[in-house]
Order: sequence, then structure tokens, then C-alpha cells
Amino acid sequence: MSSAVPFWRAAGMTYIGYSNMVAGAVRKCLKEPYRSEAVNREKVHFTISKWSQGKPEKPSTRTDSPEE
Amino acid sequence: MAMAALRREGRRFLLSSNPSPVVARSAIFSEESSAPLGARGVSTQVVRNRMKSVRNIQKITKAMKMVAASKLRAVQVRTENSRGLWQPFTALLGDAPSVDVKKNVIITISSDKGLCGGINSTSVKISKSLFKVTSGPEKETKYVVLGEKGKVQLMRDSKNHIDMTISELQKNPLNFTQVSVLADDILKNVEYDALRIVYNKFQSVVQFLPTINTILSPEIVERESEAGGKLGDLDSYEIEGGETKAEILQNLAEFQFSCVLFNAALENACSELGARMSAMDSSSRNAGEMLDRLTLTYNRTRQASITTELTEIISGASALEG
Repeated sequence: MSSAVPFWRAAGMTYIGYSNMVAGAVRKCLKEPYRSEAVNREKVHFTISKWSQGKPEKPSTRTDSPEE
Repeated sequence: MAMAALRREGRRFLLSSNPSPVVARSAIFSEESSAPLGARGVSTQVVRNRMKSVRNIQKITKAMKMVAASKLRAVQVRTENSRGLWQPFTALLGDAPSVDVKKNVIITISSDKGLCGGINSTSVKISKSLFKVTSGPEKETKYVVLGEKGKVQLMRDSKNHIDMTISELQKNPLNFTQVSVLADDILKNVEYDALRIVYNKFQSVVQFLPTINTILSPEIVERESEAGGKLGDLDSYEIEGGETKAEILQNLAEFQFSCVLFNAALENACSELGARMSAMDSSSRNAGEMLDRLTLTYNRTRQASITTELTEIISGASALEG
């Protein structure tokens, strides 16, 4: 793992992003029924909006569940 | 007489409880003005309608309390488990709330929904005073706000200092992946020397401690470790692998941030549910008290009009006989 560090750093990833990816890979290796359980634990959903000059910009939603 | 009783009771009820005085007063007083003086049979329709609405509100608040209580149980367990995530970091790096740096980022954690007592205003208040403490000449302090309610409160007077707002975090149950993706986004978008996370730490169902956690950027950790103290002990650890100390510190700081943020979001969610539970409990109790008072008024008025009518019938009959 120590050899991988410069590469993901160079790709602009943070340690969190890297460890998340690795965790995702580990979850994919699980067998059913554990797998769907683990997949349930990695659902991401939130809305983020940046502000400039005291005004919110258009919010963007990060989600991996399908839109209703 | 019946009118007087209604008016007296009505006034007492208006003074003692204050849900929406203008509406309530106008409802009762318009009834009063529509009935000519000395008219018999005061309509009790107004009181009856009000009783019905109070009863409905009580039903709703009771249901909300139940929902909060059942959700709380699950979240509380997760929260208590997640405390193990940040404790090693505090043991290793210590907590340095008093560190003096140029770029501060205050991360205020609040809830998306209301009706949960004062926890959102507490964290906003703490954030604002933290802002005052950390801001100064040549310094820059920014807010990152989690949750709708904190955003609304901070927009009023410090909207120029808000850098980012995040909401809808609690659509699914909170999990580490979600929070770490969020932490990743925050890290990529703000420049910081110190991140200060403000949240309500769950103590018990009725007690929440507003808490500040400080996360330092790797450069600052290095600076502080040279100055000695708890961070100075870092050099005594043996490090495996080929990374330099700066790399390790950067990885550590990032991972520490996501862990602390995860715990903070859970603690705040837990406090929110606890606060909502107690708020809904007291509001359903208040609704019950109000209902009791209204029922008393209603029955007394009805009884008074019956008595009046009876008296009139009897005296009329006796006048005929006599």
C-alpha cells in the first residue's frame, strides 16, 4: 500500500477518497447475503451548494439512489 | 350570565396560554359581538371547534414523540459505537481548541427538520461566538453549514461568511461512506488551517452538550509538534513503510476529519431525536392541559344556559299559576 500513495495523491484523491474506494472494493468481494447488507451501508445522499458573495449557488445533489 | 362565564373563562385561557392570541381572541370576541345583549343560548360552536383542533394537534405531537423515541433507540447505539472512532485520535494528537491559526473553518452541524427544541440555535450560537473568537485582522473565518435549520439561522447576519451548505444528509440512515464522501468534498473545496466542528453531543435524552472539535491541517500539526506538548510526542512513534512524516500526517488529518465528522453527525442526529422527543412530550402535555381548560369552560357554559332556561321556564310556569 505504501507504494500506492504517490499515485493516488497525484490523481488528486484524498486519503478519504482512496480508503472509500478500497472499502468499496472489499465490499464487492463479499458473498450474498452479506453483500447486499454491506451495500446498504454505503448509500450516499446529500445536497451541497457553494456560496459566493453571500448568495448560494445552484445546489448539486450527490446521490446513488435513483431519482423518485 | 352564561356569556359572562364564557368571557371570563375565555380570557383566562387566553392569558395563560399563548398559542396564537390574535386568532383566538378574534374568534371568541366576534362571537360575542354577533350575539345581541341579553340574548339567550350562547353558541358553544367556537369552543367546540377549538377543542377539536387542540385534540388533533395533541394526536400529532404524540405520534411525533413515538416516532422520535423509536428512531432514537437505533441511532443511540450507533452513536455510542462511533465514539470509538475519534477517541484514538484524541489520544494520539490531543485536542487543541485554543490553537491560533489564520484560516479557520467552522463546521456547524444542525438538523434539517425543526420541532426539536433549542439544539439548532445552540450550535448556531456557539458557532457565532467561535467566529468572534477566531476572527481578527489578517485572519479568515468561514462557515460550512450542515443542515437546513442552521443555514436559515446563519443566513440572517453572517451570510457573507458562509462558504458551503449541505443538506438532506439524513435521508438515508447516516453511514460512514456517506459522511466520508462529504468530508472529501469539504476538504477539496475549502482551504483551512484548522477545522472546528460544532455539534450537540448526546449526553442523555434530555441533556446535550454543545461541543467543539478541532482538526488541524498537517502543516499546523507539524508546527505544533515542534513546539512540544502532546503533539511533540509524535516523534517517539516508530513509523513503518516508506512515507515521510508529512505524508503520514496528511493522511491522518484527513482520516481524523472524516471520523470526527461522522461521530459529530451521529451525535447531533441523536441529540435532535432526543430533543424532539422531549419537545413533543411537553407539547402534548400542554395540549392536554389546554383541552382540560376548554372542556371545563365548555361544560360550564352549557350548564349555565341550561340552568337559565330552566329558571325561566319554572318562573314562567309559576307566574301562570300565581
